[in-house]
Amino acid sequence: MMRREFAREMASLDAVFEFLHRFAAKERLDPQAAYALDLAVEEFFTNIVKYGKGSAGGVLVEADRTGGTVTVRLEEETPVPFDVTRQTATQFDTPFAERKPGGLGIHIAREMLDGLTYDYVDGTSRITLTKHLEP
Amino acid sequence: MFSITVNDEGIVVLTGRFDASQTDSAREVLSGLRDSAVVDFRDLDYISSAGLGVLLATQQRLKKEGKAIKLIHMNRMVRDVFKIARFDLIFEIE
Repeated sequence: MMRREFAREMASLDAVFEFLHRFAAKERLDPQAAYALDLAVEEFFTNIVKYGKGSAGGVLVEADRTGGTVTVRLEEETPVPFDVTRQTATQFDTPFAERKPGGLGIHIAREMLDGLTYDYVDGTSRITLTKHLEP
Repeated sequence: MFSITVNDEGIVVLTGRFDASQTDSAREVLSGLRDSAVVDFRDLDYISSAGLGVLLATQQRLKKEGKAIKLIHMNRMVRDVFKIARFDLIFEIE
C-alpha cells in the first residue's frame, strides 16, 4: 500500500499524478486502469480543493491493490460532511449552445470505475474508488 | 507536461496531459481562434473533464458564428472519454 498527504491546493495536482504513476508502475497496472484512476482522482481532488468547506488540513491519498482490484482513497478531516462524489445533472438533454461541463467529470469517473463511495465518520470524509483490473 | 501551439498550417497541436492545471494556457490559445480549425490530438496522452470544458466553450463560441473545431488523431483512451461524455456528438472527430 502507498500513502501520501498532499497540500489542499491545485498546485498539488502534479505531485498527486506522480504518486499515482509510481503506484501504477509498481503494480504494473494496464494503461486503461491507470487512466481511469488519474481521471477520477483528479476530479475528486480538485473538487475537494474547490468546494471543501471549513477544512484547512491536507488530503491523504492511499492506493492499494488486492488481487485484481485496485482501491484508492482520498481522506480529509473536515467539520462538515460534503459529498463531492454526488452526481449533479450532466445536461445531456440540454441544447448544445447552453450545455455546461458541470457534473461531467463525476459522470466520466463513475463510468470508468467499478465502484465509488463516500462516507463521513468522526470528522473524516473519505472517498473510495475501486477499479477491477483486466485478467 | 502540456503544451498547446498553433503550427504553420494553422493546426492547433496538443501535447502531453491536459488536466485541470492546464486550462488557462489552453483557453488563452483557443480564445484566439476566429475561424474553423483542426485540433491535433496525436501527441495528447490524457484529457480530463477540465480539458473537455475548455474545448466545449470553444466549440460553443465558434458555432455561434457558423464555425467549428474538428478533432483529429485521438488515441483510444482519449476517444473513450469523449464517448462517455457524449462529446462525440458535439465535435467532428476524425
